[in-house]
Amino acid sequence: MKISKVIEIDSIIKTYKNEGFETNVLKGISISIGEGDYVSVIGPSGSGKSTLMTILGCLSQATSGTYLLDGEEVGKLRDSELSRIRNEKIGFVFQAFHLLPGVSAFDNVMMPLIYCNKTPADAKERVKQVLIRVGLEHRMAHTPGQLSGGEQQRVTIARSLINNPKIILADEPTGNLDSKNGAEIMSAFDHLNAEGRTIIIITHNPIVSEHARRILTLRDGQIVSDEINENFKESRAGIARAAVK
Amino acid sequence: MRILKNLGQALRGLQLNKANTFLMTLGIMIGIASLTVIVAIGEGTKSKVLNRIANMGFGPESFSVYSGAGRLFFGRNRNTTSMTLQDVDDIRAMPGVAIVVPRQRKRMRIINKKEFTTTRVYGVSPEWQPARQWEVVDGEFFNDTDMDRKRKVIVLGNTPAHKIFGEMDPLGKKIRVGQVFFEVIGLLETKGLTESGYDPDDRALIPLTTSMSRLFRQTHLHSIKVVSTNSEAVGQTMEGVTQVLRRNHGLSPLADDDFRFVTPEGIMQWVTESEQALNRMLLLISTVSLLVGGVVIMNILLVSIRERIREIGVRRCFGARRGDITQQFLFESVLVSLLGGAMGSSLGWVLSSSLNHFDLLPAKITWDPFVLAFGFSMIVGLIFGIHPARKAARLSPDETIR
Repeated sequence: MKISKVIEIDSIIKTYKNEGFETNVLKGISISIGEGDYVSVIGPSGSGKSTLMTILGCLSQATSGTYLLDGEEVGKLRDSELSRIRNEKIGFVFQAFHLLPGVSAFDNVMMPLIYCNKTPADAKERVKQVLIRVGLEHRMAHTPGQLSGGEQQRVTIARSLINNPKIILADEPTGNLDSKNGAEIMSAFDHLNAEGRTIIIITHNPIVSEHARRILTLRDGQIVSDEINENFKESRAGIARAAVK
Repeated sequence: MRILKNLGQALRGLQLNKANTFLMTLGIMIGIASLTVIVAIGEGTKSKVLNRIANMGFGPESFSVYSGAGRLFFGRNRNTTSMTLQDVDDIRAMPGVAIVVPRQRKRMRIINKKEFTTTRVYGVSPEWQPARQWEVVDGEFFNDTDMDRKRKVIVLGNTPAHKIFGEMDPLGKKIRVGQVFFEVIGLLETKGLTESGYDPDDRALIPLTTSMSRLFRQTHLHSIKVVSTNSEAVGQTMEGVTQVLRRNHGLSPLADDDFRFVTPEGIMQWVTESEQALNRMLLLISTVSLLVGGVVIMNILLVSIRERIREIGVRRCFGARRGDITQQFLFESVLVSLLGGAMGSSLGWVLSSSLNHFDLLPAKITWDPFVLAFGFSMIVGLIFGIHPARKAARLSPDETIR
């Protein structure tokens, strides 16, 4: 099966300068990720996972190397262009949720639409639809403080979906959740991937990474392994079973 | 419209951070409140003075010339005796002069049996009444015959009449002024206290000839009131009066005038000048408090940006541009400043009304301070909001969500 590439990065190097010292965090990383792929990036802390995520998410730019996102070279774009790309092509899910405090689930999901160049006319209907998809139609008016951790993370998933992005970037999405809620969130990702979404999950939790079709292992700023997950089918079977129940 | 959406986010931001919002408004509120009060007092003083001038019977076509050098009501030398009826006759002969009223004046005790009070006793000619346009409500004003015969008749203002007669009718009664008995022939219409507390009704009037020969026993005048035929000629008339008086008083060209003019403009100017020092002080206070208010807004916003660094990061992650963040925080500071301005205006309005209500200071509420408040708070919000707003926008998105 030939799949078109959503992400193609080549020889990415990221160097941080701090008080005269240069730290090489990423030392030449090349990955290509196809549309509909389900990738997890694992590695010990300090291996460069988070830095890779900020680059993939267009939150920062590589010191050198090229990055094609959906066929567009983003390495040299201006800040406002990067904002547009984040808005249109990337949906973020964070470990600490990062919902706007005191703001209803509905408005939190609505937030990315504020920064569209043209807010869609059916914005409210779309917000409703994604909240229904994550099973929160009865919690739309609740603020993050009134929601459980699992519900909050489902709001962030809804928020990441609102602009129909090319990729969903999740950084330790279950890190702040208990195992039951964590499993629920992961099954939500599984379903999204089954619908054809490209998902990239950064984690150090093997249970989480086992959900992905492809596992990238990072160590000291380099990819040390890139393999197909043997257990992938099995975990999908597990979901299917859960769905039947 | 993106800018409107950022405005909406700013409103929500303020709503969610009520404590900060309230603190931010305080400085501006105080600044604008004092500004409002200052302007109200300024306006009030002006209208009080205008009122007072009107009460004094000054139209734009009239002025007074007082004996003795000095300024307005403040003579430097109380013993100047140079102003005489000769001056009056010469001024009356000038072209463009309609009415001339010579006046003598002394504070004296007036007595009705056991009741007594002290009031300003004026010796004037009968033209006083048309010149002042002051009605006699009971009895009548003295006439030329009274003048010619130096009759001992007196017209009372309401204040002394009430003090020594109470509810009794004073007409026809004899009262003693100093050592001389007078018959009360008229009562002046009541004008009422002016806003400054000056009581125009505290006076008694007798014929000038009587005061010269029987009561004050002096020939020199206290002042002369002059009414011109038209208000444009006032300046010219005053120059003419100056020449006449200097000539009559035998002043050498180098000597200072031994008389002084009291004009509506002169009074106005004097009051304005004396209020200016106070106003400058208050203006300084309000400027300083506006500046302090601005700095408070800036600091609280800077702190609030640290608290809300995640919010900024998340907004950036989902597509907010630097400009969006700048706009949002700039809107917050301008809105908060305008809110402070509105609160300050209301507070200033309440304060001004109370000052007026309790007769502490004259204050008149006009639209100007509210327009000023709007403008000033907008400017303060912009000036002191730009730094925090830009700082928030410059935060790099990858660092703000860590």
